[in-house]
Amino acid sequence: MRKSVKRFSARIPLRLFESQPDERRKDPVMTRESDTSPFPYPLRWRIMDGLESALDAVWPRSMSRYSGWALVAPALLLVGILVLGLANIAESSLHTLDRSTFLPSEDYTLANYQTVADSATYWRVMWRSLLGAALTVVFTLLLALPYSYVMVRTPSAAIRKALLVALFLPFFIGQVVRAYGILIVLGTSGAVNDVLGFVGIGPFRLLFNFPAVVFGLVQYMLPFAVLMLAPALTAIPREIETAATSLGANWIRTFWHVVIPMARPGLVGAGLVVGTLSLTDFAMPAMLGGGSQDFIANAIYDQFFRTADQGLGAALALLLVALGSILVGIAIALFGAGTLGMGGKR
Amino acid sequence: MISRAQRLLFWSIVWFCIAILSVPTIIVVGASVTAGNIITFPPDGFSLKWYGAIAMARDLRQAFGRSVIVSLICLAVSVPVGTLAGIALTRFRLRFANALQVYLLLPFTIPLIGSGIGMMLVFGNWGILGSVWPVGVALAAINIPFIVWSVSSAATALDGDLELAAASCGAGRVETFLHVTLPGVMPGVITGGLLMFVLAMTEFLVSLLLTDARTVTLPVQIYNNIRSIITPDLAAISSVFVVIALLAVWLLDKLVGLEIFLKSK
Repeated sequence: MRKSVKRFSARIPLRLFESQPDERRKDPVMTRESDTSPFPYPLRWRIMDGLESALDAVWPRSMSRYSGWALVAPALLLVGILVLGLANIAESSLHTLDRSTFLPSEDYTLANYQTVADSATYWRVMWRSLLGAALTVVFTLLLALPYSYVMVRTPSAAIRKALLVALFLPFFIGQVVRAYGILIVLGTSGAVNDVLGFVGIGPFRLLFNFPAVVFGLVQYMLPFAVLMLAPALTAIPREIETAATSLGANWIRTFWHVVIPMARPGLVGAGLVVGTLSLTDFAMPAMLGGGSQDFIANAIYDQFFRTADQGLGAALALLLVALGSILVGIAIALFGAGTLGMGGKR
Repeated sequence: MISRAQRLLFWSIVWFCIAILSVPTIIVVGASVTAGNIITFPPDGFSLKWYGAIAMARDLRQAFGRSVIVSLICLAVSVPVGTLAGIALTRFRLRFANALQVYLLLPFTIPLIGSGIGMMLVFGNWGILGSVWPVGVALAAINIPFIVWSVSSAATALDGDLELAAASCGAGRVETFLHVTLPGVMPGVITGGLLMFVLAMTEFLVSLLLTDARTVTLPVQIYNNIRSIITPDLAAISSVFVVIALLAVWLLDKLVGLEIFLKSK
């Protein structure tokens, strides 16, 4: 930035110089020099001027009203791929699989949705996903609320940092590796069964059942929930809790009547995010459920890659997108899109 | 002020959370240095032979290479696109700004399985399914809100008068952008880029849908191997991800400080 300032200050005397021919006459040496060899423009200035005039040609200043839209356009196009994808899903959900040729049928029909509605299997998968998501929300919030409370209220910066690192590390490790870790820990010869063996009980079959999937989802969602709750708890002034205590409330009453109501936006937001993400999760049911605990996402995957019934899979996918959008729509209606924090104060 | 009972209860929950978050990771890293041939904890003697094994394994090495390529493509797409969008959302008065935000949040609100299947169909129509680069573009599309968010929060903190000052000193639009606006939002660009890179390295579901046996990325390869047989070489390759995550957390803390995520808006 300093370089550019130097450039502006160099340019201003030059302009003054040109506009005052009287002064030039006083110094004949300089006049001759500037007549024969013009001021040596550095290459960087010329490139920059070239860029400026190119921009003026492509996007004249008169169009500056639309500059914002021009800058945001690439992002709109990128997200447009997803919208186009949804349109494709909607289109292929209207074609049934022709069992004789194994090609999608030509005519449009709602038969795939009828198949989903009539199928007991999909209702079971749907209920399992919803139940799994609901249980995940409850357990995750029960764990995340004390965690973020301790993290926000602790006077020690070192403890706060350690608690944050413990959250961010799993977030960056990725779902597959985390699920792999859980597979090792909960396996029949894993650490948990080893500990239980010391006490003299077990081994138990801890994997490939519904509780294992819910446990995996809770472990996966915990960082998201804590990071959404922490700002809400930060916003509660400590003095309000002190006031409640001084009025004779014990900590349970303080927590129940002061902290939880004031943190409600954060709790609802975190609950909705955790609920949507676990409802639509694929990896945890696939890896910790061992094929017997499929969620909707796994059913969709199987339709595309096992049974190759693209239309039915697309119908399921669209239903899941609709279900997810309803949940997110509730979240946005309650808190506004600004909660997820783009744009800024206007 | 905080009663003993509350402290006891809350801290036991915190320790429980730390345990379920960290123990699997610690055990994976521990199991990767075993000298034995099966996963055990505590490890069966110390050796780095499984790290030698993954360095020799061609499929894992290639998958790792493809993951790096995919992440770099994701970075190359998302950094310019996200930076411009982040600046546009904060520095310009846009009509329909709320609708625009809802639209740009679609990657988060559409379930990943829906985005993945949709892009699989679209890329299939375009005939580019089966190459590596569309996976990078796809990961940029699903994670773009992260970088838009981090750039726009940096741009909000930037004083708009600086741009006017540069312009009044004679700087053109390109010059103002390159010397004033861009350096001003650079912390947000770097943070967002870091998030995009690490999330692309570890992304699983969309990669699973968009890759085949020839273009498989590392997380998908790990998933496929887990389904067949669990050996300590997977623990070793998982430890690579742990190292990447440690680096990312350290960098994020250096760049913006982790405490920024506790602030209320």
